[in-house]
Parts: sequence; C-alpha cells; structure tokens
Amino acid sequence: MDLFLQTLLNGLLIGGVIATFTIAFQLTFGVLHVIDFAVGGWVVLGGYLGYYMAAGLGVDGFLAIPAAFFLFGAIGYLIGPILYNVRNSRTARPELMALALTFGLFTLLRGGMLTAWGFNTRNVPTALSGESLALGPVTVPMIRVAAAVFAIVIAGGLFLFLYRTRYGLAIRATAENRQNAALMGVNIRRLSANVYGLYAGITAMAGVLMGAVYSVNPEIGLRYTLFAFFVAVLAGLGSVGGALVAALLLGVIEAYVSTYVGSSYSLLAIFATLFLVLLISPKGILRRGL
Amino acid sequence: MTANRNGYTRRETLGLGAAALAAGTLGMPFVRTARAQAATFKAGVITSLSGENILGGNLTKQGYDLWADAVNAKGGVEVAGEQFKVEMFYGDDQSNPATGADAAERLIVQNEVDVLFGPYTSGSTIAVQPICQKYQVPMISGSAESPNVWKAKPEFNFGIIPAVDTTSGLSIGVLAKQSNPAAKTVAVIGVNEPFSKETGEGFRDGVAAAGLELAAYELVPPDGDLTPVISKIAALNPDVVAVGGHEEILINVVKTSKSLNFRPKALIMHYGITNPAFAQALGADADGTTGVVVWLPTVAYKDDVFGTAKEFSDMAAKKLGGEPDYTAAGCAASGLVLGDALKRLGKKPALTPEDRVALKDAIAETDIQTFYGPIKFEKDGPHYHDNVQPVPVLVQIQSGKVVAVGPKEAAAADYIYPLPAWK
Repeated sequence: MDLFLQTLLNGLLIGGVIATFTIAFQLTFGVLHVIDFAVGGWVVLGGYLGYYMAAGLGVDGFLAIPAAFFLFGAIGYLIGPILYNVRNSRTARPELMALALTFGLFTLLRGGMLTAWGFNTRNVPTALSGESLALGPVTVPMIRVAAAVFAIVIAGGLFLFLYRTRYGLAIRATAENRQNAALMGVNIRRLSANVYGLYAGITAMAGVLMGAVYSVNPEIGLRYTLFAFFVAVLAGLGSVGGALVAALLLGVIEAYVSTYVGSSYSLLAIFATLFLVLLISPKGILRRGL
Repeated sequence: MTANRNGYTRRETLGLGAAALAAGTLGMPFVRTARAQAATFKAGVITSLSGENILGGNLTKQGYDLWADAVNAKGGVEVAGEQFKVEMFYGDDQSNPATGADAAERLIVQNEVDVLFGPYTSGSTIAVQPICQKYQVPMISGSAESPNVWKAKPEFNFGIIPAVDTTSGLSIGVLAKQSNPAAKTVAVIGVNEPFSKETGEGFRDGVAAAGLELAAYELVPPDGDLTPVISKIAALNPDVVAVGGHEEILINVVKTSKSLNFRPKALIMHYGITNPAFAQALGADADGTTGVVVWLPTVAYKDDVFGTAKEFSDMAAKKLGGEPDYTAAGCAASGLVLGDALKRLGKKPALTPEDRVALKDAIAETDIQTFYGPIKFEKDGPHYHDNVQPVPVLVQIQSGKVVAVGPKEAAAADYIYPLPAWK
C-alpha cells in the first residue's frame, strides 16, 4: 500500500514535470499552427542558463527562471516573424516548410550547444534540490513539487490571460480564424511574434526546472520534443487545459507500469494509450483539440 | 590526313599522348616502391576525430601515438637484429560506424597499412571488423568495451580492454570482499541501450557468481523517469544498488535517490564516474559512489618500453597535459602487443599479404606483461580475441576525488561502506 501511494505521487509529479514544457507548446500550435520541433532546444537552453548562472555567478538556480523568460522570450520574439512568414508563404505546403524550419532550428541549437559547451552532463543546483518531505508512508521530492506548482501556475496564468484580457481575446480569435481576426484589426504578424516569444520564454523557464529535476546536456533536447509531442497529441493539438490532464495521465501510467509491470514496458504503455485515444477520440482526451 | 603546324598528324599526337600517359601510370609503382624502401612499419589509426565522440577519439589517438613516439625514440621496432620505425596514418570515422568502415578501407587500400589500431567506440569497431576480414589485415583495439564486438568472433581483431560484462561482473565480487559487514543483497538497474545493458547484465551475472542475492533486475528505457524504479528498489531495501548506464543516467540516479531520501549501503556504477564532470555536477552528493576501472596509474605493472604504470602516467601527463585514463593506457598497450608480435614474426617491412595473416596469428599467441597489466587473448568462447586477464580496480569518490579502494593490493584508501545518510 505504501508503494502504491508512493507510485501515485511519483506519477502525478512526473506528469507535473512533463506539463511544464508542454503547455506553451500547445499555445504555439493553436496560434501559429506550427508543430515546433525546437521545443526541446528551448528546454535545454534554459537548463544551460540555470547551470551557468549557478556555476558562474554562484546564485541559486531558481533565480535563472525569470532571467530565462526575458532572455529567451526576446530571442523568440525575434524568431517569431520568420516562422510566421514561412508558415504563411504562398509556396506549396507551408505547414511542412514550417516544420522543416523548426527542425532545422532544433538541429542548429543542438549542434551549437555541443560545440560551445561540450557534451558533459550538467546540473542546476537549487535550494530545493535533493530535499524531501516525509508525509506518512510517502516521500515527497520537493524539487518536483516545485515543477508541478510551476506548471499549474503557468497553466492558470495562461488561462486567465487568454480568457480575461483583451489581448487574450485577440489571440483566441487568431487561433480560431486568422483572416477574420485580421479584419477585426488584429496585427497578426506582431501577435505571432509575441506568442512565439511568450512560448520560448515559458519553455526556457521550464528548462531551468528540468535541469534541476534531471540534468542537462545538448543531446537530451529530442526527448523533450518527443514528450511534448506525445502529450500534445493526447491532449488534442492546441488545447492548453488538455495538456495538463494528458501529462498527468501519462505520468501516472508510466509510474504504475514501471513499478508493477516493469520499466521496460513503460514507453510501450504510453504509446498504447496514445494509440487508443487517437482511435477513440481523435481530438484528444478533452475533445478540445483542433 | 593533314599534318598540323608542328608537323605531327592528329593520330601521331594522340599516340604520343597515350604513350606519355602510359609511361606515367607504369612509372607509379616504381615511385611507390622507392618510397616504401624507407622501410617503416605502417600502422593505421581509425577513430573518431570529429563529431560527438571527438574527445574519446582523441584519447585513443593520443594513446596509440604515445606508443609510436616511445618506440621510435628508441630507434623503432626490432626485427631480426634490425630496427624499423613505425609510421602512423589516421582515418576519421566522424563518430559514425559506416564512415569508419570506409575510412578503414581507405587506410588499407591507399595508405597500404600493415596493421590497424581500432576505433574509440564499439559501434565503429564492429563496423570495421568485416573490412579487416576482407583485406586480411589485423587490428588491435585499445578502446572497444562492448561484449558484442567479441560475440561476432572477429578473426582479425584483438581487444586490449576486457569486455564490460566481465569487468562489471568481477567488480561485484571485489565489492563484496571489501564491504564490512559483507554486502548480501544487490539490486541492478540497466539502461536499455547498447553498452549500458551489457554492463547491467554483467552486474546481474556477477551477483550470482559472487554468491549474493539478486533483489531486483530492472531494465529501464533511456528516456524514462527514474522515480518509479528507485521507489520500487527502495521498498526492497537492498545493500547494494548497481547501475549500468552512461553519465547522464548515473547523475539522475543519484539525484533521484536523494530526492526520495533513499541511500543504499553502496552505489556502484561502471562507467563515467571517473569523468570529472560527474563529481562536478553532483558536488558533495557524488561522494561515496563506487566505480570500476580497468587500469589506474597506481597499479603495480611494468614493461621495457614505458617502464612502470606510474612512469607511463608521468610521461603521458607531460605530453597530453593531464593524467591518462584507462582508454589511453589500453591504446598505448595495443602498440606493445604489435611490437611484440612483429618481433616474433621476424618479417621486415613492407609486409606482404601473407605476412599480414602470419602477423594476425602471431598477435593471437600474445602472452606478455605490460605497464597496463597482463595481455593474452581468449582463443574461443563469448570473449573470443578479447584480453580478459586484467582484474578490475574498484574506485570510490571520496571528497570529490577518485581513489582506488579494492582489491586489497591496489587499494589506496579504505572503502567507505556502508554509506552515511544523505546530508
């Protein structure tokens, strides 16, 4: 029973951790209609910022979180318009061109990081790293709790922003119908740049947390890209709320299968879930996908 | 037929051109022979000189070069009373096995090397083996550690470093002997990827061989989260946790264990903990982690070319700017095997194709003592042509430094067991 409860907690926290880098990914898909392969690259960049701030300046890794938002948010803001132009070009298959662009960006980030920082695995030390709380029979890893709280705060913040502000309304309108939004006076190009900047900033913030929960090296970006994609498909592409639910579901499945069936079957179980959901509900578990 | 201005017909001009071309082509072999008469043994190094494995690739290259420099400084390899220098050629596998096979072929066909020195990665080594077989050129591999290299029964390849399953297996026995009170139960985690999985299997088999109890054997996917596995193992509370994986997983195992407040009496990992980045990433949490190495500068072995292990290490440190690890040592020792085999073969350069086959047979009969330890290749079984002689050295991170803790004759410090609780 103790192990059962511990596994449930492990699963929920794995879900919380995965959700951190998936939520903003959904927003980008909703607005820009681009599956951003570079998501893993932004995660890893955030992790490295955390490492260098902690190792170089001697500050706590958590301080890198706001720094990551502003730094990579600004870089994302500059890249956004390029992505927008490619996605809306009049050449054939702009959606595939955009996919190729983000894949190229990902490869460039990975290669650049490998050249600049080498392949050694780095760690982001924080005040909560390694800390745990004994709660009856279960042990609660605090750094994962921090990541899960971050995911919930970001999801809640995005929800309020999208549904309670004028600019959020413009973003939703753009996601629904780009031409109509433009006719209503929304500057689609600038909005796309802002959304991509917001996304890159949030994802890099999540990256600092990933570096604290796991570790960071240039090669691991692909793993985050894949997981973001699994969760997005399960959630229904573009659904921000669905991402949270889907991530928690995948986390709990992974934890129970690893503990009671065998770790080597955990990814099999995740793929089987994905397959079944796509079969039964192609718009994702909350049926809110695009 | 019209003659052109200088009095040749077109046919004559073409004929002269063809004759000149033929003379040039036919002349080539003579030029080559003339160059070969400088009489050197030609050795080709095939390894990762670019791409993601460039660091390890350079380590192997430096190891092989250390031998070539040392032996050339002594006048060369002695054959039938004469000395012949060694000439090194290099091929880059670009961290890609298929490219490695091409590069090996180039070294053999274009540079006409007598022998190859093997790649940094086992993957490339496996890809190069058929090329050695095809051209009947022997290869000595100073770095490959995967048992899969030897399962293929490579007739022309020889390995200096014992396959990882033998070292990890033996290390459990060494650990059991060094632990006090003696360890009884072991849980093994193996990452489901080449090398890591074999390391895990080695640990698993070593548990049985050492007469201990296997509490759990978990094969985890490289992309999975480790909390479920660590929680499960923590519930079983084994004395020892053994992990087969690369550096990133090793770091994550330590972090995850700490975050779940689980500390086994010993945590043993095969590869990667000697990389300074491991202790750097984990800080004080790295302390107490046990690892396995095949060679350390403190081992008590010696030979005529490099002297003692310590002397080899000092010489290498001067040239490379840092203490050599067991990969560089294994590569340098590969050269010693070649030198010994050439001496016994007694054939002067350049070697004929028949000589190369005879050289392969001579290498197979190797039985020497070197600064790296004893070298003798298996004649059959799953580790065919691998040198499984060396006994692994158990190391432990103590105050951020890697120190030898077992077996008794190699230990430089006491083994800390059981590990203290997390701070």
